[in-house]
Amino acid sequence: MEPLISMGVLALIGAAATIAGASEDLESDVGSQSNANSQVQLAPQMGYIHRIYNKAIAGEPVSNGMMCTIGATGALVLIKHFGFSPLFALVIGALIAAMVHGSYSVTAIMGREASQARFKQPIYLDLIRSHTPVIMAFAFLTTFSVEVVSYLMVYSLAHPFPFVLLSFLWGIVVGSVGSATGDVHLGAERQFQQQPFGEGLNASQSGSIVRKGESGLRNGIDNLWFCSKFGGPMTGVSFGMVVFLGTWIILVFDPKNGVVDGWLSNLLGVVIVIVLGVWNWHIEKETREKYGPFKEDKGEEVSA
Amino acid sequence: MIDIVGLIAPNIFWILAIVIGGTLISISVHFISVGGAPAAMAQATGIGTGTVMLAAGAGIAGIIAAGAVMDLNQNFGVVLGAGGVGAMVMLAATMIVATWIYAYGVGVMPVSAKVKYDPITKYRQDLYVSQGTEGHGIPTVAFVSSLLGGLLGGIGAALAYYALMKVGTYAYSGVTPLEVHNLNLVGVVATFTIGFFFINSVIPSYNIVGTIEGFHDPKFKRWPKAAVASFIASIPLGIVAVIAVGALAFAGGL
Repeated sequence: MEPLISMGVLALIGAAATIAGASEDLESDVGSQSNANSQVQLAPQMGYIHRIYNKAIAGEPVSNGMMCTIGATGALVLIKHFGFSPLFALVIGALIAAMVHGSYSVTAIMGREASQARFKQPIYLDLIRSHTPVIMAFAFLTTFSVEVVSYLMVYSLAHPFPFVLLSFLWGIVVGSVGSATGDVHLGAERQFQQQPFGEGLNASQSGSIVRKGESGLRNGIDNLWFCSKFGGPMTGVSFGMVVFLGTWIILVFDPKNGVVDGWLSNLLGVVIVIVLGVWNWHIEKETREKYGPFKEDKGEEVSA
Repeated sequence: MIDIVGLIAPNIFWILAIVIGGTLISISVHFISVGGAPAAMAQATGIGTGTVMLAAGAGIAGIIAAGAVMDLNQNFGVVLGAGGVGAMVMLAATMIVATWIYAYGVGVMPVSAKVKYDPITKYRQDLYVSQGTEGHGIPTVAFVSSLLGGLLGGIGAALAYYALMKVGTYAYSGVTPLEVHNLNLVGVVATFTIGFFFINSVIPSYNIVGTIEGFHDPKFKRWPKAAVASFIASIPLGIVAVIAVGALAFAGGL
């Protein structure tokens, strides 16, 4: 393929990946499926009854990997066996995955909340009715976007992996990225807004999540609203960067042209990594200067 | 009837490569700075997700990159480099965005609780750890350590992938050799490599038990045990993989 057209396809892939990352994080925020869910799970045991949707079907990477595999398998069957147009088939595939995900979500919250009956945690049926469609909507977006990424990679950029396998792999990566980035905004900030800003969660406060909302009792959709302002989009940027940069380096220096180009593409990747590392160091320096230390250095005071 | 000895004999070198790849993956997991669930609450230093999941995410990004490059250029060094760089790019992109969220969304600076001074930047650490936590964010030393982990893990995964592709495309007597583009071969080899990666990233998680900051963490010293365990586990895995993939070559790639 012409390099310019490849770049155009890659831009589309990057955009789809960004949407996939953002929707993946927001899906895990509204349904509380992430590392931060440990606090939602812990709260009733500490005596804090809450109205937060509590589903953790599996770890995010595995759950998203499964969702994307179901979607891609459905889409591929429709394309190859029934002759559907790819775009239509990808939509139906994502719809099937969203329905499967919805059923898993309902069984997950039912099981989790029922197991906490001894701590007097009720099962709110209205919560399940209002949140499950939202969870399914985000699951649909994630699956569809990951399918688009994989489909374009396989059929336009000639990636050697089979379409379903590549969807599965990107599903695991999107879960891994979402779990590592956006969930911090939910877990460290939104769930503990009553704690002072600018501190990590004190271990003694574990389980003491905020249970009152801006209006009424707080639920998963309130968390979604908050996290969609920063955590979600940032996760999208992160997954977009992973997919875009990882592919961009082999489009700029195509290893097909020889060993030298192959090494140049690897070198370009190393340069990108170094730039990101320097940026991380710069933020570390900046925040240390701006925020200042939490404790005074008693050792130096004594010596002075 | 597939001649198992005839399959293994020409591929002894590649079995050794798979075993080395597994050992590299096992060592690499110790380098990656993971904070597990506590890091998601800014309660521990490192990336806020589980050991195996993060290592697998990075390794899979490496396998996707190595697979793409293997299809275009079968040079050993280039494919291994692509695997390592793919995993490093995934980890770097994840860590920089996590740092944005810690710094601007939560308002904490990256700091380590395991050392008094960062071995790379020489910044004082203990004064910047907020009360009741084991550090938060990803300081420079953890960032660099994670990148080294990504590099080793990606190279290990790419080594296993490359070895199995070579086993599948070898010209056995009386069989037309498979092409490197054969979809069934690529599918089987990639799936096996992912499983292989998972196994070798679960073994070191018994050393890590939840959180590790990187090469400066005292837990890092336990790596030889996991490396030996992975080395031993990878030997039968390597033999089985070579038989499975080699048999596919005998069957003509289905």
